[in-house]
Amino acid sequence: MFLFLIEEAVRDLRRGGRVAASAVLLITLSLAALGAFWVLSLNLGRVVAQWRDRLRVVVYLREEPAPGTADELLAKLEAVGGIQRMRYVSKAEALQTLRRQLGGQASLVAELATNPLPPSVEVTPAPEASTPAGTRALVQRLSTLPEVEEVQGGTEWVERLAEFQRLLQRIGLAVGAVLALAAILAVTTATTLVLHARRQEMEIMRLVGASEMVIRLPLFLQGLAQGLAGAAVAVGGLYAAYRLALPALEPLLSFTLGLPRATFFSPSEVAVLLGGGALLGAFGGLLAKGGRPA
Amino acid sequence: MIQLQHVFKEYRVGPVKVTALADVSFEIDKGEFTVLAGPSGSGKTTLLRLLYRDEVPTEGEIRVAGYEVTRLRRSNIPQLRRAIGMVFQDAKLLPGRNVYENIVFVLRVLGTPRREIAPRVMQALKAVGLSARAQALPAQLSLGEQQRASLARALVKEPALLLADEPTGNLDEGIAEEILDLLREIWNRGTTILLATHRATLADQLKRRTLVLERGRLLKDKD
Ligand SMILES: Nc1ncnc2c1ncn2[C@@H]1O[C@H](COP(=O)(O)OP(=O)(O)O)[C@@H](O)[C@H]1O
Ligand SMILES: [Mg+2]
Repeated sequence: MFLFLIEEAVRDLRRGGRVAASAVLLITLSLAALGAFWVLSLNLGRVVAQWRDRLRVVVYLREEPAPGTADELLAKLEAVGGIQRMRYVSKAEALQTLRRQLGGQASLVAELATNPLPPSVEVTPAPEASTPAGTRALVQRLSTLPEVEEVQGGTEWVERLAEFQRLLQRIGLAVGAVLALAAILAVTTATTLVLHARRQEMEIMRLVGASEMVIRLPLFLQGLAQGLAGAAVAVGGLYAAYRLALPALEPLLSFTLGLPRATFFSPSEVAVLLGGGALLGAFGGLLAKGGRPA
Repeated sequence: MIQLQHVFKEYRVGPVKVTALADVSFEIDKGEFTVLAGPSGSGKTTLLRLLYRDEVPTEGEIRVAGYEVTRLRRSNIPQLRRAIGMVFQDAKLLPGRNVYENIVFVLRVLGTPRREIAPRVMQALKAVGLSARAQALPAQLSLGEQQRASLARALVKEPALLLADEPTGNLDEGIAEEILDLLREIWNRGTTILLATHRATLADQLKRRTLVLERGRLLKDKD
């Protein structure tokens, strides 16, 4: 019985012809747009998470603490609260780091008469203080200490990035929703055409005593097949685009955002896209009107 | 097999009411061959459509093949229809499928087990004398052959009752004769038949019980 229903659905798809093909195309477009925004947002989300994780606040000191009093100073800093970890970086250590960063041009450092770099303390905020507001407050508290020259850090740009990610998500959803609506309409049109071509079959089915389910199910199945096909093409297209763009994009991403690898959807996310396509198609198939019920 | 009690049917066309059937009562026993006669527009098609629940009566009670048709739930309509075979003036064959596939279609729609399908289709084709034309498309058949295929399709589900609405309406006299002979054969094998026709001569010639409708009323019921 089920085989029969599938055969009937395939026959319908063939009859649907060009309209069915354009319905598949629209589903492809809507899911590809949705998917593209999703991939972007997914990767941006990873950037944001990574930077939140790495977040440091750097406290520049007015002068190097007297030998043996560094710990005392750290204790004083810690007293402001909201700090997880601290590391003291002396003037000498800072210079060392600079020398390492300069690499080939390290000789420039040797030409300096005095060490111009200030001593500093690298502060990792406690988890409860690593929100934008929490970090801002921590920076504020640290700045008031007399030993402190300047405090750098904060999450402003990371938060702007996070905001951008949310915006991207919203645009993606909006564009995807509009296209999804168009896709549903296209499937509905395709199915209505199929219904029209199928009305003789449906009349015979009703006359001989087929259940309404048997009469409608092929329509539902051909809609579902259109949706699934559209989703598969969309995922395939996105993956191809991802593989093509990867060699060019990855160094850029790594350099600007510190993201070593751009990822694609996980299998379960692919399943969500395919399921979404199937749902769109099936819905369109169900919406189609025509053929009066017995 | 069929019982009607004070059946009325009114169609509403905009503000106008058309009375298609008025106070029709009769009974048909299992195994009878009955002719439903009357001029065009007398209500024959309407009456048949009430029997397979394509329409509901405005008033009255109808029983067919053990079903209380008037009180049948929507979801039980398919069951009623499985017990009834139908043929019409036009054969209503599916143009994209050959004769064999047209008949297979019915059994597959009804979920008949695979093994049973081929033998039953062959048997139905043989019963209407169309075995040799099994692979032909409807368009390649004569009108008489098309009507035979339509009969085979009605018979393949082995209905207890066969409703035929002007099945010879499109056919020349000789071919019509053949179809009537075929109906008689089917009746001889035990199927109850109700045949609607507007051709008075045809009704007379069959020499069977005849219900005559005129303007929706049952005029006479003669054996
Ligand atoms: N669906 C319908 N809507 C309105 N009037 C109808 C409909 N079907 C039949 N009629 C009317 O009912 C009457 C009986 O028609 P019908 O049952 O087709 O007669 P017959 O089959 O004997 O020619 C006619 O007057 C016809 O115009
Ligand atoms: Mg008629």
